[in-house]
Amino acid sequence: MEAVLANLREWLQDRKQHLDLFDETKTAQQDNPLYIVGGLVWLSWMVVIVTGIILMVWYIPTTTGAYRSILHLTEDIPFGWLVRGMHKYGADMLVITITIRIYRMYFAGEYKKPGELSWMILFASLVLAMISGITGYALIWNQRAFWAAKTVLTVPTYYDEIPGMGKLGIGHAIAYIFLGGPALGQATLTRFYSIHYGISVVFAILAEIFFYRTRRRRLNLSFFTIGIVLAFLAYVSFDQLAAMGRWANPNRTPLPILSDWYFLALYQVVKYMPPLWAGIAPGLLIGYGMIVPFLDRTKETRAFERPFFFVVGVYALAMFVGFTALIMLNIAVISRDPPIIFAITVVVITLAFAWEMIHRRRKAALAASRPAPAPARRPAAAS
Amino acid sequence: MKMDRRRLIKTLTAIPIVGGLLVILSPLLRYLKPNDGPFQINMTAGDTPSGGAQVVGSTAALQKPWDYFYFTYIQSFPQYDVDGYKKANIAGVALKLPQKVKFVNASGYAGFDGETDVVLFQRICPHLGCIFNFVPDWHEVTAGYGGFVPPKSEQHSLMACPCHLSIYDPTFPNDPGNVISGPAPRGARYFKFEIKGQDVIVTGAETGGIAECPAPPGRLARRAGAEG
Repeated sequence: MEAVLANLREWLQDRKQHLDLFDETKTAQQDNPLYIVGGLVWLSWMVVIVTGIILMVWYIPTTTGAYRSILHLTEDIPFGWLVRGMHKYGADMLVITITIRIYRMYFAGEYKKPGELSWMILFASLVLAMISGITGYALIWNQRAFWAAKTVLTVPTYYDEIPGMGKLGIGHAIAYIFLGGPALGQATLTRFYSIHYGISVVFAILAEIFFYRTRRRRLNLSFFTIGIVLAFLAYVSFDQLAAMGRWANPNRTPLPILSDWYFLALYQVVKYMPPLWAGIAPGLLIGYGMIVPFLDRTKETRAFERPFFFVVGVYALAMFVGFTALIMLNIAVISRDPPIIFAITVVVITLAFAWEMIHRRRKAALAASRPAPAPARRPAAAS
Repeated sequence: MKMDRRRLIKTLTAIPIVGGLLVILSPLLRYLKPNDGPFQINMTAGDTPSGGAQVVGSTAALQKPWDYFYFTYIQSFPQYDVDGYKKANIAGVALKLPQKVKFVNASGYAGFDGETDVVLFQRICPHLGCIFNFVPDWHEVTAGYGGFVPPKSEQHSLMACPCHLSIYDPTFPNDPGNVISGPAPRGARYFKFEIKGQDVIVTGAETGGIAECPAPPGRLARRAGAEG
């Protein structure tokens, strides 16, 4: 027991030393644009925090005042549209850059030793960004927000259907805690406001402690890059005024109704699956993301040298794009589609596994046929 | 783990201290669940909704088969709210079926005594709580709700949810309002109602949705007993 704890402490110590939150240790690779996304994550986060604080000056967190205060801010207050646009599109940029960074770390094998902790924090930050997203767009109190909040908070009630969990009522308690009562209302809005604000505050403080301790630079981008990104955000805010939607109406669900773009694929999954599984599936997905550094045990970082995890990554991306397209086209025949998708998944995973096996066998054969002294010479040369 | 005398004494002292702290801090649970009182640690108790009898419409609007109207039944809950209570709406639809049915669903909830051709469904989707629509023409279901084509026997007016495309059949044999397509785990919930003269009077609503109180089974049974 004590030895395990000591091992764990050592592991954590080592990973903490190699912790990299915003690619600040990879500045030498910035000729590859994929290595500026870490800086962009930090930049868009700060844009969102600053504009969010300005928005708080005008925002009224009540079911009757929220929608009107945002409309007032957007249309009557000088540059209100800009602040709101930067907040919305900055948040979109945050989600996009985190996603790109996740895929970069995945396909480049950067989650392997010693990057496990960096990967886990990055992956958790995507989940937190999405929670910030859903609590954030609820604050407008428009139709999209209202029904998104309602469906999302009904999902946990199905956890009580897991055998043995029903007596505890944990699922309903979760829904109750976030709703602040038996139905979506003022208490929910207040709670969402607090969560939306709290997540960024708490994690901004933690990130600051990290930078204070490591004495690293927070933002490793040239002024030119920063300028271009901010100008682009401002231009998008001007060109595509952040949508207001219609005031939330608890007695009418509009048809069709779509969530914010990064939830669309998940939304389609919820259509296809029985509700309990739709509640568990995102948990499994997050679980896979968190433990993938410990599943992929090889030292290889190149994508084609670890075919199984490469295929899983590509397939996840294909599913995200495919499901998003399906929901945009409003195609969902629930009696027809899920078996097809399940069959494709089984085939793809099986083929990926077969590829991995063949690849490993070929590599083993290659190593066996090679002259033996080659690996033994290297340590001798190093010393 | 070895337990020596010193450790045992430390543990025994710690238990009452931790317990005392928990008791002192337990009122803070109200931050999480506003319907829990101080010192109430049970996090699962729901509130008892009360709606009473409400006249929601008139049978004059339900003359021909598939005539329908929408209505809203208002329930209120005791709450630790600034107003002291909270109101929740249950959207509903009243419709006239082509034939008389026993308005009892698969879980045994009876919405009406005896046979009736007027039925009242809650429009809160039993899946994730969106408000579903009554769609008079089933072609609209195919066009607007993901491409589902109902089988021949069900090609009449249906009810369909915009969120996750659950389709309900108001005339489903032995379980009116059951789901015929989509992710919903059960059929549409019922209102308990009476018809006095031309008045359609709602006297109660089937529980279980998130819009109303998620009552634990024991409490549900007690309330059902009190009603019956």
